[in-house]
Amino acid sequence: MARADFLKVAALATGAVATGRILLAGSPSVASAARRSPHQDRDILNFLLLLEYLQAAFYKDAVNRGALHGDLARFAQVVAGHEKAHVIALRRKLGSHARRAPAFDFGNATSDPHRFAAAATKLEELAVGAFVGQGANLTRGAVLRVARIASVEGRHAAWVRDIQTHLPAPSAADAAIGQHAVASTLRALGFIKGGAS
Amino acid sequence: MISEPTIPSLEQLDATGALRESFAAVDGGSRRDFLWKGTLAGAGFLAALSTPAWAKGKGPSKSLDLLILRFGLTFEHLQAQFYEEGLRIGGFSEETKRWARVIGAHERAHVQIIRHVLGPKAIPSPFFDYHGVTEHEGAFTKTAVAMEDLTTALLIGLMPVLDSPSLAAALFSLLTVEARHAAWVRHDRGLLPVGKPFDDPKTIPEVNRLVASTHFMKSTPKTWSKNAPRFTG
Repeated sequence: MARADFLKVAALATGAVATGRILLAGSPSVASAARRSPHQDRDILNFLLLLEYLQAAFYKDAVNRGALHGDLARFAQVVAGHEKAHVIALRRKLGSHARRAPAFDFGNATSDPHRFAAAATKLEELAVGAFVGQGANLTRGAVLRVARIASVEGRHAAWVRDIQTHLPAPSAADAAIGQHAVASTLRALGFIKGGAS
Repeated sequence: MISEPTIPSLEQLDATGALRESFAAVDGGSRRDFLWKGTLAGAGFLAALSTPAWAKGKGPSKSLDLLILRFGLTFEHLQAQFYEEGLRIGGFSEETKRWARVIGAHERAHVQIIRHVLGPKAIPSPFFDYHGVTEHEGAFTKTAVAMEDLTTALLIGLMPVLDSPSLAAALFSLLTVEARHAAWVRHDRGLLPVGKPFDDPKTIPEVNRLVASTHFMKSTPKTWSKNAPRFTG
């Protein structure tokens, strides 16, 4: 095992926790575990809500277009229901502070099985990293709800990787993905109309 | 197609050393104390959970974090040795061996990480007797599913009671991995990898009761040194 690699991952993980900015929530505040607050919770939950909106719309579209078969179709069907439930849970917690869903365009990522599997893997890994990066910044009043979703995103990621015969759990610890990295991945995917922010 | 798993070093989860430092300053009772109480309890770590901090339902604190991490260490030992023993004596199919090897390596890495964070406050591994479960592929796989689902529930349940933000961050990065393990073994068994949109939490006493009911864990101080696992990577 290469020590340098681990240190890099560690720097990434801790950096995301300490200095990740809530860019996607449109707020300049810095997410920090040392400054946990209900206000910061709202920023974080809205940030995670965007990812849940995206996933829910993605799987719903894939199910509606009906191009998937076998294990992949079952995966999309089951996960579509989960992501929808996550959206509802986060919206309920946020109340009137919940952001609105943007418009999405998935192109052929929801109509071609190979593209679907690749995009689903990216979305699930992105969600895992985002939840890992923000979970510890939440107050005790919000962390349980988010932890119960984070593990489910981990299960989704493992499932879709296993379907493609990729290693379902590639690391002993999942690295955090900070908001900057999440934002640039979202831009690269191009599923959100009008951009991620 | 299948790449080798990445095993993180101790530094991955405690890059700044903040965790190690925080536990070095906590008075959580001496190691000898802990062993003695553990022996009396009969199941290794039961006694740790009846300490005042937990029993009185006080809020999060550094000493409760220490207790939690010791519990976590014992639980990771339970898992690491389960996979190690299964691979050694089980005669499993290639598919089962594949996930048992990867997951076992992860659990060993978790043991190393927690031991390192605890430093001199780490407690030794109890002795485990899996009662033949590691000899039969069906029983082994079924137990693996239960264990990974339970670990996931435990980590979720811990989140609101943790004091240290660094510890919470570290445990979040283990939570999603334990959930991946559960999904992987479930999928291999033909079970739904994820049955519900929300995983349910379990508290330490709940998990403790479940683990105690398996009788996998034995307190046999005389043989501890002989049976101490070697985590040499």
